[in-house]
Amino acid sequence: MAYSAELAQEKRRGLLDPRTKLALVLLLAVFVLGGLGGEQVKPIKTVLSALPFLLLLAERQWRRFGRGVLLLIVGYGLLWIMPRLPSALGFLALLCGGILTRFVVTVVMGEYLIATTSVSEFISAMERLHMPQAITIPMSVMFRLFPTIGAEWRSIRRAMRMRGIHLGGTKAGQVLEYQLVPMMTSTVRIGEELSASALTRGLGAPIKRTNICRIGFRVQDYVLLTGCLFTIFVWIMELCGVKLW
Amino acid sequence: MVELKNVSFRYGSEEAGTEHENSLTDVSLSIQNGEFVLLTGPSGCGKTTILRLINGLIPHFYPGVIDGDILLDGKRVRDLELYDTAKLVGTVFQNPRSQFYNVDTTGELAFGCENQGLSETEIYNRIDDTVARFQIEKLMDRSIFQLSDGEKQKIACASVDVSGTGLILLDEPSANLDYEATMALRELIKCWQSQGKTIIAAEHRIAYLWDLIDRAVILREGKIIRELSCEEKNSLSPNELASMGLRSNQLESPEQINLPILESQDQALLLRGFSFSYPRAKKAIVDIPELRLAEGEITAVTGSNGVGKTSFLNCLCGLEARCKGILEYKGKSYDRKARQQLCFMVMQDTGNQLFTESVLDEVLISLPKGTQNGNDRAIDILRQLDLGAFLDRHPQSLSGGQKQRLAIACALISERRILLLDEPTSGLDYTHMIETAELLKRLRDMGTTILVVTHDSELIHSCCTRKVSLGNS
Repeated sequence: MAYSAELAQEKRRGLLDPRTKLALVLLLAVFVLGGLGGEQVKPIKTVLSALPFLLLLAERQWRRFGRGVLLLIVGYGLLWIMPRLPSALGFLALLCGGILTRFVVTVVMGEYLIATTSVSEFISAMERLHMPQAITIPMSVMFRLFPTIGAEWRSIRRAMRMRGIHLGGTKAGQVLEYQLVPMMTSTVRIGEELSASALTRGLGAPIKRTNICRIGFRVQDYVLLTGCLFTIFVWIMELCGVKLW
Repeated sequence: MVELKNVSFRYGSEEAGTEHENSLTDVSLSIQNGEFVLLTGPSGCGKTTILRLINGLIPHFYPGVIDGDILLDGKRVRDLELYDTAKLVGTVFQNPRSQFYNVDTTGELAFGCENQGLSETEIYNRIDDTVARFQIEKLMDRSIFQLSDGEKQKIACASVDVSGTGLILLDEPSANLDYEATMALRELIKCWQSQGKTIIAAEHRIAYLWDLIDRAVILREGKIIRELSCEEKNSLSPNELASMGLRSNQLESPEQINLPILESQDQALLLRGFSFSYPRAKKAIVDIPELRLAEGEITAVTGSNGVGKTSFLNCLCGLEARCKGILEYKGKSYDRKARQQLCFMVMQDTGNQLFTESVLDEVLISLPKGTQNGNDRAIDILRQLDLGAFLDRHPQSLSGGQKQRLAIACALISERRILLLDEPTSGLDYTHMIETAELLKRLRDMGTTILVVTHDSELIHSCCTRKVSLGNS
């Protein structure tokens, strides 16, 4: 059968609308990473923290799921072992453990957003939120700039190893500086080439852009968004001193 | 119809008049609808500049001073906004890694039309049509990051095709492609020709286009030095091409070149048990139980797309921890760690292997510990490689060929005896390619063993004396 882009597009539609994913990232950033809310919000936070992992499982992102869980285990492991260590090491364990347990959940949620959203879906969602192009376009470029920079980074590290520059070698102190020189040059070059290519393809025209992706709220989106609102509601109640449970 | 009327241009602002590279002087050119015109000439001759003037990137993205007029169907490009020019002109760029806006291939094909605000049904129909004509069903709904350079360039062509512009510009689209991918690109261009599209290509590697073009325009230092009609170009001799600084117009696969792997009198370099596979890949990408290569010679390493030529170099350099091969060289065995001190690789992206802020420092960090008169030795080597005048320059500000020579200078001072090069002449014009070939011969005469991964048949003819073809050895 001949290829049909429309059918394929329908098939790859993700579980959630990008707006729901964005709302979840923000919520996690504020409550789990930012640590907003007291005793009353705590049980909700536990549920929230499990969410990105469940979503990764639902979308079959096994590797990302595994990596996230591993980092969490390491984080909690450090916190558990901390009181049994001499004070200097214990402090280091507390620091690393604290950072890991706080950051991992939100970072995993962000990874989920990037991994399961296409650029077209993202732009479409931002347009429905009435974001101006000046915000949407730079943010959408991030989607592909990060992996591209990642690839450059690996290539530069490989080149350094080939030339015999590595941590523990003679020039350990300068390793970071050495990495940054080609990194900056290539990032600027890639950014420039990307912009030139996007402009020759008409990005930025003052008309209503089409987006071929399918987005829109479905049951699962409504459930999660209600959850988000509920979290904020509980937090406001707590601020007002109302005891819910 | 495209018209350039007495166009002069230089990059930069009014006052800064020092940079003359890539500028144009009084260029007039008129291209009819349906014509296929090749712009060619040595590096810096201004062929890319002409394309940028036509697609509006000059002056809207790259500022500069323009005299004269560039007209697209009678409209001045300068007066059009870039998003209006985008409806008339599609461009395929040189670097397959930095011309995509999307992460998925389907989104990439739709991108141009989405920006024009076409209806969804229209966009889907156009994509399906392009996919069928280009036969790229296998590439659809994939992540851009999983594609090879050749496949990426196909997607770039397809996305221009979906946009449906009548004029297509190609800016050295084959620079990063091997022979097979270049032939695939040729097929796509033929497809456009049969549809009556107007095509303007800027290229060094002219062989794969030579019989397709209607006209060749040869530039040098910003001026048109010759225009060849279809008949004229066919009667041109190889010497005439070379005298204009052009590459060969003879299409030849590196696989067709006959060179031995090893001659009977050669001292051999023995590779044993080189095998390497990517994590989670079923098949090994490098699988060499035993291979003898000639010591002190220049060996070309060829092989089609995806047979792991670059991975082979990485293994040889000891950069892949998962590859457990042993190299025997001059009666000594070198394991992975030891090979890191023996082999030096000049990578395809030479800029990524230069780390310091001056040419001299760059060479000094490769100086073995405890060398006497290190500074003098470094300067001496840089002079030998014609870099003596650039000691204080920032390595990243050098030209492609100069960066390559600087990397080779680092190899020389580090006293590593085996030099590996990954596609050293991709995107180089005739003169620079010959310079690289001459340099490699000089290094060989100094006793260096050289392996060159290349798809450049001309380079192989110019300097290689042995050849190994991966995939069937």
